[in-house]
Amino acid sequence: MTEVVLAIVLGALYALGTFLVLRRDVVRVVWGVTIISQATNVYLVTMGGIHGSIPIVSHGGGGHHAVTDPLVQALVLTAIVIGFGTTALALVLTYRLYQEHGTLDLQELATTEDSQ
Amino acid sequence: MSSSNQTTVIVRTVVRSVVPIIILVAIGLLLQGHNFPGGGFIGGVLTVTAFALVYITYGAEYLSQYLLGLTDGSVARRETQDVLDPDTAFFSGTVGRYSAVFGIGLALAVGGGLGAVAFGEPFLSQAVLYFDHIPVFGVIELASALVFDLGVYFVVVGSLLTILAVVGNE
Amino acid sequence: MSAIVAAPLLVALAGAIGCLLLRSRPRLLRGVSLLAGVGYLLATVALARAVYADGDAILVYYLSGWQAPYGITLVADRLSVIFIGLTAIVSLAALWVSIKTIDASGQRISYHALYQFMVVGITGSFLTADIFNLFVWFEVMLMASYVLVVFHSGPEQTRAGMQYVVLNLLGSAVMLLAIGGLYATTGTLNMADIARRLAEPAAYGIAPGPVLGLTGLLLCVFALKAGLVPFQFWVPGAYQAAPPPVTAMLAGVVKKVGIYAIIRLYFSVFAVASIPDAGGLAVVAGKPFLVVFGGVILVMALLSILLGGIGAAGRNNLDALLAYSSISQVGFIVLPLAVAATTLPGDSLFRAGVLATIVYAIIHGFAKGVLFLVSGAIEDHVGTLEFSQLGGISEQAPVLSGAFFVGGLTLIGIPPLFGFFGKLLVFKVGVDAQNTIGWIAVGATLIGAILTITYVTRAWERAFWGPPNEFVEELTASPSVVAVIAGLAIIIIALGIGFQPVYELANGATSAVIDTDAYVRAVLGPESAHAIGGGLR
Repeated sequence: MTEVVLAIVLGALYALGTFLVLRRDVVRVVWGVTIISQATNVYLVTMGGIHGSIPIVSHGGGGHHAVTDPLVQALVLTAIVIGFGTTALALVLTYRLYQEHGTLDLQELATTEDSQ
Repeated sequence: MSSSNQTTVIVRTVVRSVVPIIILVAIGLLLQGHNFPGGGFIGGVLTVTAFALVYITYGAEYLSQYLLGLTDGSVARRETQDVLDPDTAFFSGTVGRYSAVFGIGLALAVGGGLGAVAFGEPFLSQAVLYFDHIPVFGVIELASALVFDLGVYFVVVGSLLTILAVVGNE
Repeated sequence: MSAIVAAPLLVALAGAIGCLLLRSRPRLLRGVSLLAGVGYLLATVALARAVYADGDAILVYYLSGWQAPYGITLVADRLSVIFIGLTAIVSLAALWVSIKTIDASGQRISYHALYQFMVVGITGSFLTADIFNLFVWFEVMLMASYVLVVFHSGPEQTRAGMQYVVLNLLGSAVMLLAIGGLYATTGTLNMADIARRLAEPAAYGIAPGPVLGLTGLLLCVFALKAGLVPFQFWVPGAYQAAPPPVTAMLAGVVKKVGIYAIIRLYFSVFAVASIPDAGGLAVVAGKPFLVVFGGVILVMALLSILLGGIGAAGRNNLDALLAYSSISQVGFIVLPLAVAATTLPGDSLFRAGVLATIVYAIIHGFAKGVLFLVSGAIEDHVGTLEFSQLGGISEQAPVLSGAFFVGGLTLIGIPPLFGFFGKLLVFKVGVDAQNTIGWIAVGATLIGAILTITYVTRAWERAFWGPPNEFVEELTASPSVVAVIAGLAIIIIALGIGFQPVYELANGATSAVIDTDAYVRAVLGPESAHAIGGGLR
């Protein structure tokens, strides 16, 4: 049951992220990328938590307990930290883009480049 | 954001009592991080949350000058040297101080890892010391991983404060 | 277990931290950065000596003492060492040019720390034996390069930087997705462990079908880093926006990280796997994964060679021309891999293909390093790289022009330069294959070579020949910068004349790629390879 719910949530998140990435507004694109990377984090937890062999637990003798895989959580934490830094950078870049071009519309950004 | 008139008395009172609690929890998370949920990253983020609350309610000046004590030297020096050398002003200014914390934290984290190499162990190896029969606490664990966590803590605090100060200045 | 494996990584990391802490002292800062560059070169030499000490050592370093496959393992073998060597030389040259040409204030604020972090990320990517750790090193490298690309602030730089950042963030998300999936299907993140498990999928309960799909997804990410068509969109903008020494690093070294990952993962680790019969893929059922990857790489290589070459021939700006040329040349680099993928790792054609790719990657690293540093020196003094504003540089700056000439000719592949052997090996692989894919590769190489001649000649004729105009007469590059660029050009000539040692090194690297068993044994312990049900279970 959890799998189905998570699969639906993941599908919705990726769909939303993709939709936003394809927009013309740069801020929306950045949000889209952020949502996609967050969806990937959720996916990562799902991958380790519900199914699959768990290297440390199955080897270390604790295999009788229902334990979620600790590794994916460490991976996700790392990914969140990295995503945090890159999102901040992308947002600052967006701000600078607006300052320098006066617009955040990708179509207009493309035309200002041609006219220069 | 310089004026504190924008925030209400309620917010300011709540922030005043909540900030010490947040920082205490953050330090608790930092100290138990080698063995329990917590650690440098989450402790650092929580600490900066407290600073961000102060920043939102009282303004950037209050945060850097009164709370973090960056008044002595930095402002005075900035006024005299701004004309001479903008770079020097940058480094003695708030952003420069914040990003120095970042560098110190990184040095601490890597230095803690290199300490293991000095003992002939692989890079980043950790050890734990147990002190028994301590009054009140019973057993105290002293983990070398704390050095690494402390480094991460400073990296996170330094980088987030830098982002806050730079973006806030825009 | 030898600590020397981590030496280049730790030297660069210490350099980065030193640069961060010493920002209030500009002279010391530059000294530390340069020291880190020289120290990196020395550490690389020491590492190479250790790897070649017994002829074919695979040095393994378990970080914090956690044994593979549980902890993060660093591995230095002959393949890693040859790429780290390229990094050491190109990054030191570009570092010196940076010190001389980047404005003092920029150098103080963050340039050196970011530059060293980029080197840290590159080195980590070459050394790690853990796919998630590979992702982390990629991010370290990319995060530094994001900031370096927009280092010269300006409207065009921000626009190109934004494009670079967004594309690579999407790439990172996809990479994480593929890695998470690989972990779920194979149950491990260690490359050696993945190879061991994929060799006997049934024993470990692995379904090869999903693994094939996930590795395909991962291939897209590496193609994005390498700038292969259809993932090349970020290349021209980012290369023109970044400061010239950074462009030299991006084109010369950072792209090679993508190439290295493709060789290491697809031609060593995943090469042991084969497609299941019951996967709904009747055409390729029972064949190795490489058959699918080979086809994909072939298409990407052909398109890169053609689009990059045609794009370069049509540019009116030296930097843009070089950026498109870089897309085309990366096509040449991976083309032999596509031919190699038609056979199995034991075959001599497989060896020849991987060898040609490694040699060509090294050549391209040096050639693009020289070319972008020359174009950077011109831009710094003339202020533009539009062909309409250039002309007669060969008269004004003969040494710089000579270096550009050597770099250009080595891209074309004129003997006795280094590039000749690259082209020769690529052609030879195509001819030796004696099959359709081989002949397609030969045809593409011929067309690509003609395009290369066209755009190099065009750049030379428009920018370097003729009488110098008033802009070009300003061109007086600093002697030490010219000396460094000339030094790189001399390395290209020397490696061409004395090609035998390079061939031996690349051949050793190829042996390291082919011998997956040795890699698995070195990382996981002597009894692990081919021990069905051994090790973990």
